[in-house]
Amino acid sequence: MITKILIATLSMAGISGLLAIILVIAERYLANYGECKITINNQKDLIVKGGSTLLSTLNSQKIFLPSACGGRGTCAYCKCKVIDGVGPLLPTEEPLLNKQEIENQIRLACQVKVKQDMLIEIPEELFNIKEFETRVTLIQDLTHDIKLVRLQLIEPYEIFFKAGQYVQLITAPYAGVKESVSRAYSVASASHEHDHVDLMIRLVPEGICTTWVHNYLNENERVKIIGPMGDFYLRDGEGEIIMVAGGSGMAPIVSLLEKISKEDIERKVTYFFGAVRKKDLFYIDEMRNLENEIGNFTFIPALSAPEPEDNWDGETGLITEPLDRYLSRSDNATSQAYLCGSPGMINACINVFVKHGITRDRIFNDPFA
Amino acid sequence: MKLTPKEQIIEKNFKLGAITKDGFMGDDVRHVHDIIQHDAMTLEKLGISSGELAARMQFFIDLGKEAIENIVDWNEYTIQVIWSRGMLPCPFGEPRLHHKIFIELRNNKLNKSIRYTQLNVHLIREHGFFEGKGSPFRLEPEELVEVLSLDQ
Repeated sequence: MITKILIATLSMAGISGLLAIILVIAERYLANYGECKITINNQKDLIVKGGSTLLSTLNSQKIFLPSACGGRGTCAYCKCKVIDGVGPLLPTEEPLLNKQEIENQIRLACQVKVKQDMLIEIPEELFNIKEFETRVTLIQDLTHDIKLVRLQLIEPYEIFFKAGQYVQLITAPYAGVKESVSRAYSVASASHEHDHVDLMIRLVPEGICTTWVHNYLNENERVKIIGPMGDFYLRDGEGEIIMVAGGSGMAPIVSLLEKISKEDIERKVTYFFGAVRKKDLFYIDEMRNLENEIGNFTFIPALSAPEPEDNWDGETGLITEPLDRYLSRSDNATSQAYLCGSPGMINACINVFVKHGITRDRIFNDPFA
Repeated sequence: MKLTPKEQIIEKNFKLGAITKDGFMGDDVRHVHDIIQHDAMTLEKLGISSGELAARMQFFIDLGKEAIENIVDWNEYTIQVIWSRGMLPCPFGEPRLHHKIFIELRNNKLNKSIRYTQLNVHLIREHGFFEGKGSPFRLEPEELVEVLSLDQ
């Protein structure tokens, strides 16, 4: 009996060992895809080493598709058309693509692997996205959990972006985090200032990138960014521009306001800034200065739970409340809405805008969600 | 032990810096299956299913979400939900994403607080996984059941 059990155990161990060896051999030879050719827009050929994702392969060739999540398959910003040379749709792509996109051969570049020659299409403007070497010249506390980070560009030394766009910040390994990650942050500086970018970064509990920025990054250190990216920018129009942003969501709004000021755009502009207490407010002086610079601009900070010692006599309530009051007495026929902040705030505000007749095609937001 | 490619990806996902800063295992040296099994036995003793627990946790998240980061008082509870931009994938590798929602929940009657995320709710509901001991978002089933008043 014992002999039989021993033989059975040894047989199982032998079969398992054999399968493991086959797996190792298969990985070594079958997963070696060698050189592959990626043809972009029928104009440009890249010869690359196969085996990596399309996103990282293109990155290695200095072609950067938008990505807010750093290639984790969560933001769906790296969509591109893959006409040939790719397998069937992956389960990780399905939730992030609609029926029409699937029919149009749209794929997520961070999920698709380069295993053979590929034919892809990407918008021409994406060739403007570059990797920048920068130096941190300022880290400033804006609130207890938001920092302003200024990055002076070294190489290339100039960036050209639309106010409202974002860049990806690439972390360095720190503490026990061994690999770099990249995360998207809206640019807060003016788009006519080409030699630096300002970012406003809020500490996310246990966040990989924000913990690095808040606890490990120092002035004078070098960091890399990739950008510019995103389609959150000022649209043409005649009507009022209504902005809503709280916390670090203020970043692209500051950039938009700087553009409006610089270009003397003569539209009515109203900005609702939501915070909980007075200590959560920041950039108040800068906003008051912009009120002086922009002819028809009103900055409306609102506190949802002011402390008695705040002596607050401004707007109160959740940001949706002053917004609702304002929209109920304004002409919204041609107004545009620009929102940035937490998904919860954005969703709530979109409902208020729609209720007051501002249709979804006139509401712009960049939730990075 | 030779792992399949899928198991290799899952194991990597649990490590620090892969999906979250501190990973999901803390300083727990047990295999993830052993952690799940041990916590399942605890839940069984408490007479609560992981589904019931997750539903109660989700209830408080939904309550706090409405307040857009403001503190909410509800019965004996004080709730604050912070909803950051971005999504997190499940470390078990399934193709579903989870909002970066963080909740601090205080049971004023017991004078006890817990904190958890939307991903915690998913991990408990779908995988019975409370994270490894020492992980910043490890939840002790007994404490969770007590603070959520599911033991009454």
